[in-house]
Amino acid sequence: MKITIFTILFTFACFNITKARPVSYPGGLTLMLMNSAMKNSLHTHYSPTAKTSLGYKIEYWRGDEFTLNMIQMNNLIKRWNKPESQANFYLKSAIGAALSDKADFESKKNFAGFIGISTDWENQRYFIQYANRYTKAFEIKDFYTQFIHLGIAPYIGEYGDIHTWFMIKIDHTPEFDRKLVFTPHLRFFKNVHLVEVGADTKGKIMFNYVFRY
Amino acid sequence: MKKLIFFVVIFCALYRSSSAEDKSLTVYAYVNGLVCDFCARALEMTIGKQNAVKAINVNLKDKVITINFNDNQRLEDSVISQLINDAGYTVREITNEKK
Repeated sequence: MKITIFTILFTFACFNITKARPVSYPGGLTLMLMNSAMKNSLHTHYSPTAKTSLGYKIEYWRGDEFTLNMIQMNNLIKRWNKPESQANFYLKSAIGAALSDKADFESKKNFAGFIGISTDWENQRYFIQYANRYTKAFEIKDFYTQFIHLGIAPYIGEYGDIHTWFMIKIDHTPEFDRKLVFTPHLRFFKNVHLVEVGADTKGKIMFNYVFRY
Repeated sequence: MKKLIFFVVIFCALYRSSSAEDKSLTVYAYVNGLVCDFCARALEMTIGKQNAVKAINVNLKDKVITINFNDNQRLEDSVISQLINDAGYTVREITNEKK
């Protein structure tokens, strides 16, 4: 059964490769460091075209004490470019391994993978994003997550200025102890650097950093 | 007198030659989907690395990129459109004069 699901995920990833288009610009490299109430993650990827990115991701889920090491592929399925706005629909998938530190599963290893979608709309004033994902790590943890991310910019800047956003992220994780997490935060965006800093309603720090070269 | 005419002819020839070399061109491309610094960066990197391009400037507010070409060089509009599409954006209009 494990091998069957692994094969399905792998086949899906290969299918994505053949359809692929990039998420950054062709030849673009991206580094994403994310820290929130639930997890810490590092994701680095390369975009061979403007509709696909392929990269490595490591996540540590603190509540259930397990790590996911994965090869992740993001596909831009559709982009709507308008004179003042942009909207996107992405498919995200990954395959790799899970390792649990939790007492019951000390050093247990499993195949793991996830699949999900992400969609967003933004102009220079407003931002809205919805994303979900189903993660399968077999005996360690199978879980579904989704979130909504909203933002408003108090001023409109030019390229190279510091852009500031007031934002809120609402995470819904039905299989975790905290099913709903509200995280108001600030986003600062300048040139190739993006930083998000905030704290959720229980005081857990959010710190995200994205660098695109 | 012959010498004077000779120098005048040489001077005119050199003057015309130097004027003909000064043929740098600027093109303005109006782009859809240009909403953030990452978009600007994508266009800057994709178009800026072309040999014919001397300099590129991205204006987020007006959604226009200004492309300065090297002397006597340029990219066809269709090539500029394709490069912008390859970067993930679409072209609204390409002109030789800013609106």
